Formats: sequence, C-alpha cells, structure tokens
Amino acid sequence: MCQKHAEISQNPSHFEGTAEELATSKSVQANYMDYIKDMKFFDPHIHMTSRTTDDYTALIDAGVVAIIEPAFWLGQPRTGLASFKDYFSSLVGWERFRSSQFGIKHYCTIGLNSREANNEALAEQVMEILPLFLYKEGVVGVGEIGFDDQTAAEEKYYRLQLELSKEAGLPVQVHTPHRDKKKGTELSMSIAIEHGIEPSMVIIDHNNEETVESVLDKGFWAAFTIYPFTKMGNERMVEIVKKYGSERIMINSAADWGISDPLAVPKTAALMKIKGIADADIKLVTYQNAINAFAQSGQINMADFETPVVIDQSLKFNGNTVLRGGQIPRVDKNSLIIS
Amino acid sequence: MNFSEQLFEKIKEYASPKEISWVVSRSNGSMQSLQIAFVSTPRFISKTPILSTSVINDISINGWSLDRLVRVYILTTLDSSEKDIYTKTLNSLFETAENNEAVALISALPFFAYPKYWLLRATDAVRSNIGLVFDAIAFQNPYPMQNFSELAWNQLVLKCIFNDKPIHHIQGLNERANQALAISISNLAHERWAAGRTIPAQAWRLVSKFINEAIFEDICTLFISQNSNDNIAAALVCKETDFLALKGELKKHTELDKQILTWNTLEV
Repeated sequence: MCQKHAEISQNPSHFEGTAEELATSKSVQANYMDYIKDMKFFDPHIHMTSRTTDDYTALIDAGVVAIIEPAFWLGQPRTGLASFKDYFSSLVGWERFRSSQFGIKHYCTIGLNSREANNEALAEQVMEILPLFLYKEGVVGVGEIGFDDQTAAEEKYYRLQLELSKEAGLPVQVHTPHRDKKKGTELSMSIAIEHGIEPSMVIIDHNNEETVESVLDKGFWAAFTIYPFTKMGNERMVEIVKKYGSERIMINSAADWGISDPLAVPKTAALMKIKGIADADIKLVTYQNAINAFAQSGQINMADFETPVVIDQSLKFNGNTVLRGGQIPRVDKNSLIIS
Repeated sequence: MNFSEQLFEKIKEYASPKEISWVVSRSNGSMQSLQIAFVSTPRFISKTPILSTSVINDISINGWSLDRLVRVYILTTLDSSEKDIYTKTLNSLFETAENNEAVALISALPFFAYPKYWLLRATDAVRSNIGLVFDAIAFQNPYPMQNFSELAWNQLVLKCIFNDKPIHHIQGLNERANQALAISISNLAHERWAAGRTIPAQAWRLVSKFINEAIFEDICTLFISQNSNDNIAAALVCKETDFLALKGELKKHTELDKQILTWNTLEV
C-alpha cells in the first residue's frame, strides 16, 4: 500500500507498531500469501464491473470465494433511466455469470447512489424500477445508499430507500461521505433509527478512526474500506482491530475504476496474521461477519461457496464465451506464446 | 387441459403444500403483482429438480428446477387479451432479467401469445454469451424450429458447434438442415483445421444431403483423420448421402463400411 510522502506528513499514519514489526511487514512483501494459505475471504464491497478477468483470477487465487457488488455511480452521471436499468441488470446478469466462471459467488446490492439522487427527475424514475430488482435472487441488500454532499435530495431518497428495504426485509449498505464524514455518518444512523430499522440490519461503510466507536456503540455493523490514499490503509486497520476487537467489524476493498486494490481483504488478513491477531478474529472481520450481516436477506447460502469449488458442470459442459470453446481459465501471464 | 393447467399439475407433483399455496395465492393478481411474483419466486419456491419424461407443448421439462417450472407457469397465466399491456409486462421482465429469470423467460417463449412478436428476444438469447441463457433457447425448446428464419436458425446451430455444445439436443435439427448451413460447417472446419483445431464430429450429420465438391474433399479428409470419431462421421455421411463419389470412398474403408454405425455414438 503506497502512500505519498507529502500525505503522510499531513495525515500521519496510524501505524503504531514497533520498528521490528515494521521490518517484518516489509520483509514479507513478496510472499504474504504464505500467511493466509488456508483462509477463505468474503469481500462485501467490490465493483467488479470495473475490473478485468486478471483480477478475478487473482481474487480466487488469494482465497476470495464470494463477493458483493454494490450498485454505485459510474464515475459520471447517467442521463436516462435505461442506463440505470441496464446497469442493474448487468449486476444480476452478465457480471454474475462472469464471476461464476472463476468459481467466485457473486451477490449484489441494488440502490440509487447518493450522487445521482441529486438528479431528482431521474431519481423518481429509478425509484419506480427498484422493486423489480430488490426482490431478485442473490440481491442481498439495498445499497450503496446514503449521503455524499448531504443535500436535501440525498436525504429524501435515502429515506425512501430505507422504506423499500423494510418492505423487502433486506439489509442496508450505507455509503458514508468523503467530506464531513463524521456528521454524515451520524445523520445516516439517526435517520435509519427514525425509520424503525434495526441497527443490526444496517452496514455502515467506509468507517475510519473517527467514526467507528459511535457506529459500534449504536449496534450497527462497521465496515472499513481498505483503499489507498483516500480511505483506510491496512496498517491502520490492524490497529483498529487490536483496539475494538472483531465483533461487527468487516473489511472490504471497494475496488472500482479508481486506483484501488482488489486484494485488499486478503492482504489485510496477512498483515493481521503477521501482527499477531488471532485467526478467529481474522476470520470474523474478513469473512464471517459480512456473511452474517448480509445473510439476513435470506439470499446467501454458504454451501454455494464453502463446498470445494466445482465450476457449475452445466456451465462448463456447455462452454461459454469468457472461456471460449472449452479453453481453461488459466493463462500463464509470463508465457510469450498465446495459443 | 390447457398448457397452463398441465404445468400446474406438474408443479403439484413436486411442490410442498406451502409452496403450492404460495403459487395459488399469486395466481389471479394484477400484471404488476405477477411481475413481482415472477421475480421473487426463488424466495418461496425451492430448486428441487424435476425428473420427468412428460412433454408439455412439445417441451421436455426434464432437468428443470421447480422454481423455473413455477416461473414458466406464472408467465402462462398472464392475460394476453390486450396485446400492448401483455407485451409491455413481459418486455419489462426481459429487460430487467436476472440470469435464472432470463432462462425461465426464454423457456416460456413457446407458450407466449403472438409468437412472432418475440423473435428478437429469441435471437438475442442466441446472441447471449451467458451459457445458461443460450442453452434455454437452443435446447428443449421448439421456438426456434417453429419461428426462426433460415439465417437465424443457422446462426443458432453454428454457435452450438463453435462452442462444442450438444447439437443433438436442438429440436428440429435434422428437419431444418439446409445447404447454406452445410457450407458454413465446411468453412468452419477449414478455419479450425488451419489453426490445428477440430470441430465436433457429429456436426457432419448436417451435410449428408448437401454434398458439393468442397464438402466431398472434407469427407475424404475425415477418413484420414487420427480421430476415430471423424472416421465414423465420414462413413455415416457416405452411407446417408446420394453423392455417388462418396459411395466409392466408403468402399475404400471396408472396416467402416461393414460396421453398423449411428450418429448416437458421436453425441457428446
């Protein structure tokens, strides 16, 4: 996880380990996978639509067996309902299929993201089609929704979608803002409580050292995004687990079209292992807690990814097109020959 | 019994009392509530496999899951009297379909009113790169045989061959064999051979009635292939065809000539 020197001096790292620990973490860079050999991971927030097949291969090699892809914005605003519809259907269609080809179980959350809630005319139309998606197989929550600029429109659609989640019996995955995060996080929680939603049904995402205590105290799930520069670094994450334990804490990569790391969850697990955190705690924050939180949707069957991975026989038998004509999914990246 | 009733009878054989009562409770709803019922079916209906030799509307439902059967049933209960409302309801399901929903929709095409209206949905399924969606139109489905143009039909069969899929599960495979398809298969074989690759041997069953000089050469090539399946395919084509030169070719391979051969042995 590289950090710009200038940023470190402005925002000092929360890394508080000993010099010896620091030396160890540097010396294991090359073979961190050795520390997590037999572990399985669940990344509850990753935008695979923006990633390549190389990333899928890296994920399964590192032990990530299941993922949740939240609906979010595409880096630029959509101009019509049809693009929302196509995006949502790709999350339950093509992307779900693509993931299955690598033996990774793909779930998603569906929602109107906060940024685009500000285009009210379009937001109204999106609200109308949401129910058709929320009841679908493998949709494990309403998300990611919440505040960005913390405008009135964002609040309006956050509230409306909380009601949808109640009706559908789905957990809520709440995005918290980059700017004025603490205030936005508090507001998101108080509105959820106001709507009579159990904190145990709400996953507050993108926490940091400033927000975590309040989120845990109120009974919500606290998710942490390990994302270079703008969100959490994984050394800081280790310190948080040391301080707050593993109950109701989960980590994710939120890997997307920005400079991000799809292996953030396994890498952080390795770092936790190196720094002496117990295996049971590592399992909770990198696997089990996320499953427990989102399985409240009734849409997660752990057997789908816990049983030794057999790529669905019918899919394999009938071939497909990510893997054309029976080609095996392995490509030796170092090979000059492409056959 | 109409098809819808036949489907419901079959559901009753496999569903629990609780599941049956859910299906019944969803049956006479508005278009919108039927849409939600279709979407949320797996929340209430298991994926119990249907093991049955029954054929409903020329469709074998063997190997379907119960939720797929229920979804198809729900679609057959939609009121089709007003074409605009009916097609709009189904179109919105197509446009928002999750993969298993898409499979159910495509499987249900032969039950839909206004069969020709759905042609683009069917050919889009052929274009799909999602294995299960493609399979839903290609196999155990009479819609392509009944409605596809020759061009669309040939595309379906060629894509199956291209992806090593089992063409013998396509309904109407022999009936709709044609000259253009035979030439395309020959061309595909040439491309594959040039790349040191092969095509599935049973694809040659579609050329027997359409031999020309080029395909004649292909059959001769198959006879000298190292793959015994290719040799069998060549012999079968010779036995079926009226193309005289091939009758002579077969005589040169007495072992194969004497054997009783069927395409079944090549159906993989």
